[in-house]
Amino acid sequence: MAMELHHTFTVDAPPEATWALLTDLEQVGGCFPGATVTSATEEEFTGNVKVKLGPIGVTYQGEGRFVERDDEAHRAVIEGIGKGLRGLGNASARVVLQLEPEGSGTQADVVTSLTITGKPAQFGRGVMQTVSDKLLGQFVECIEGKLTS
Amino acid sequence: MTAVDDRPQAASTHEVGRDRRRKEDQRLITGRTKWTDNHVLPGMLHLAMVRSPLAHARITGIDTTAARQAPGVIAVLTGEDVKDLQGSLPCAWPITEDQKAPPHPAIAVDRVAFSGEVVAVVAARSSAAARDAAELVDVDYEDLPAALDLRASAKDDILAHPDLGTNRSATWVFDSAEAGTGSSVEDAIAAADVVVEREFRQQRLIPAFMEPRSTVVDPTGEQFVMWSATQVPHILRLMLAMTLGVDEGKIRVIAPDVGGGFGGKLQVTPEEIITFLVARHTGKPCKWTETRSESLLSAHHGRDQWQKLTLAAQADGTVTGLKVELLADMGAYLGLVTPGVPILGAFMYNSIYKFPAYHFSCTNVFTNKTWTDAYRGAGRPEATFAIERIMDELALELGRDPMEVREQNWITHEEFPFTTVCGLEYDSGNYEAATERAKELFGYDELRAEQQRRRESGDRVQLGLGISTFTEMCGLAPSRVLGSLNYGAGGWEHASVRMLPTGKVEVITGSSAHGQGHETAWSQIVADQLGVPFEDVEVLHGDTQISHKGLDTYGSRSLVVGGQAVINAAKKVIEKARPLAAYQLEANPDDLEFRDGKFTVKGAGADQEGVGLAGLALAVFAAHDLPEGMEPSLDADATFDPVNFSFPHGTHLCAMEVDTETGATTMRSYVCVDDIGNVVNPLIVEGQVHGGLVQGIAQALWEEAVYDDQGTLVSGSFVDYTLPTTADTINFVTDRTTSPATSNDLGVKGVGEAGCIASTPAVVNAVLDAIRQFGVKDIVMPCTPERVWRAIQDGTAGAMSETAGAAAGHFAEGEPNQDPPGAGAAPAAGTTQEGGQA
Repeated sequence: MAMELHHTFTVDAPPEATWALLTDLEQVGGCFPGATVTSATEEEFTGNVKVKLGPIGVTYQGEGRFVERDDEAHRAVIEGIGKGLRGLGNASARVVLQLEPEGSGTQADVVTSLTITGKPAQFGRGVMQTVSDKLLGQFVECIEGKLTS
Repeated sequence: MTAVDDRPQAASTHEVGRDRRRKEDQRLITGRTKWTDNHVLPGMLHLAMVRSPLAHARITGIDTTAARQAPGVIAVLTGEDVKDLQGSLPCAWPITEDQKAPPHPAIAVDRVAFSGEVVAVVAARSSAAARDAAELVDVDYEDLPAALDLRASAKDDILAHPDLGTNRSATWVFDSAEAGTGSSVEDAIAAADVVVEREFRQQRLIPAFMEPRSTVVDPTGEQFVMWSATQVPHILRLMLAMTLGVDEGKIRVIAPDVGGGFGGKLQVTPEEIITFLVARHTGKPCKWTETRSESLLSAHHGRDQWQKLTLAAQADGTVTGLKVELLADMGAYLGLVTPGVPILGAFMYNSIYKFPAYHFSCTNVFTNKTWTDAYRGAGRPEATFAIERIMDELALELGRDPMEVREQNWITHEEFPFTTVCGLEYDSGNYEAATERAKELFGYDELRAEQQRRRESGDRVQLGLGISTFTEMCGLAPSRVLGSLNYGAGGWEHASVRMLPTGKVEVITGSSAHGQGHETAWSQIVADQLGVPFEDVEVLHGDTQISHKGLDTYGSRSLVVGGQAVINAAKKVIEKARPLAAYQLEANPDDLEFRDGKFTVKGAGADQEGVGLAGLALAVFAAHDLPEGMEPSLDADATFDPVNFSFPHGTHLCAMEVDTETGATTMRSYVCVDDIGNVVNPLIVEGQVHGGLVQGIAQALWEEAVYDDQGTLVSGSFVDYTLPTTADTINFVTDRTTSPATSNDLGVKGVGEAGCIASTPAVVNAVLDAIRQFGVKDIVMPCTPERVWRAIQDGTAGAMSETAGAAAGHFAEGEPNQDPPGAGAAPAAGTTQEGGQA
């Protein structure tokens, strides 16, 4: 199953600060619900993420890296690939992040192209959008917490 | 019922024709039976399969360490472990000399070709332990592009098996001009007043039998014993021996009670091979039973074709030629009869009609999906759907009633036996009689009037009437024909009749019932043949050590082939008993007649006692006083190979109501009048017809196996694969006309697939008939409310496209018949109504 997810959120922090945080892979990773970053450098990270999609709980173990990063334009493309534990199939994602100033804060546009195989695709497709919206909500809350504290 | 043939009926009809309650049902209904999964053997291990979640990938590593260390685990085997032992799963039907196919491993070794393919197996002390450990097998895959779309795959855009170099497995062609059985289709098309060209889609279906597949192998005796939920224990035994290089004599296969198959258990499965290998590896009995998700994912699927038809006709509606071009999706591998399934339809597209010219070609194509194989009807539902859909389209082009156009073209009852454009000889039939009865039961004219009223009043719910006048060839055999089609085996069937000293009778049949009620039907047949009580007949089957010889149950063959073998064996018993009876009666054997279970002397009066078969059986058992040279046995074997198929036919009429605002469809009425020749047990026939109808209706309205763009089956549970229940169906009106078959003593034809073959086009024709008025030209099956609604919306907006581009080759510039269809299509005055009403 391949799908594209669009999300937009705003945080109450200037673009530079937001950019610095969102490109700090260890910090960002830690904000994603269920995710653990096991190692991270400037360009790449490894880790795992645990997701529940309807009746299927799956842990993806994988790695990600910047394929594009423009610190001036605040645009980044990140690719990640994860292997589902317990033979549950793979997931891969390509995330395009674009920050724009929005008043005193920042608007972030995130476009995620997601490809999922195996049981999560079979049983989880009906809830994918809802789950990802919810996860992003929690993610944004965490990011905002880090920026404003 | 209308008797339309005055050939003598089978001699004694005390039991045959009775609606006996099935003798196997008490045991089945009360649960006093043994399915394969009920078998528990000392020290038995349980297996769980590790399956690929990817449609196409290279296996770059398998780590079984964690699984091996899990509690209760005895063994974990991968493709690497068994690659030199497992052979390649058999395909018994290479349709052409140059057919291409990849090796078909039971466990994938270095590459997986569909999502659901086995990559490792875990054996553990309990099934729960095996399943848990299977999740711990860590497989690394390197994704490969997957060939998923049938038409794209036929163009080799992405290769399902890169080493094969192409996705096209084989192309099989029949041409009536080349075969000398008819004239040239191209000439017919060039000369036609009307050319109708359409493309239809046969969606992918899942057989969805009630009992999931299960296999138990006991390696602890002199013979390996395999219990399996299979339709084909005899073929399975032979194929196990050939695939694994084990002596056939060292393998015993038992199909105990089997809960349905519908072709889905006409297979030699990877799991059967794997269970055998693990049992041999561990030295312990092993059991594998699938979950429903596993079944939907990895048991073979059915249908999945694109069908392009070109029908040439004269302006008066007489069809002059039919051209059929198919693309058939094999899925990832060739199973037991995968390539032959579309070919089983090759001789049926001309159906009940007198087409003078016919051309059929089919290209089999590999994709990275679960492999397809036999599914109820196998090839013939596809043929019936396509021809019955396009006959409607022809009527539409001509502005004529669809029944009238059919009648004009079908074989009339005076014309039997009729040799078709495919060279098949239809032995008997009466399409007029079946149709007349169906129309009467349906209230055809009244419904047409109601349809008109609703149209005129602009009713929100519109009514549509659908017709399917079908025939099928069934009773696979004859061996000679199967041989000419390159099938790897014959089509005969074997039976034995054993006379026990107590006078009871044991019947051993090579047919392998899995819900059909053979025990009852065979008992009825033998009771009549030997004049013994129905209750005294015990039918044994499905165990290769008891029924040592047979070709099993599929293709509506059991009664017409296996039943006749039983009759032949029973007749031999009578002939073996005759000299002894003559000896006891001190008469000449030729002066004896056998009736109602005893021999009497002809012309010696009605008051003579005669000698009964039971007494003779006891005398033979004692063997104290037999005629000189007589072997002390009345038991007899027979192997029967028919000279022809049987050709059931029927007229099915369906009325569908379509809610034009929501697209919801409701079946208003369904009438079928089938001619299946004489009937052994009308109750069993009724059950077969009802079940078949529901399965065919389900293809029209509900069922579809859907893959996403990664090759994941997303209709892999009964939430998404919408199998109907009784709540989804209506009361069917069924009746029969009778034209006895001439190819067997009982005059019977097959009925196992009839309902499933005939019903699909009747339903789709009815749905379309309701909504064509909105500009709708076709709806791809299943006709779900969403598709119906969209078709109405698109049609109303005028956006519905004609059969497009490549599919309409005959309408390309420079081709003949460029006149708009309406121009030459007005029905000629004084059109002859061939056949008429019987």
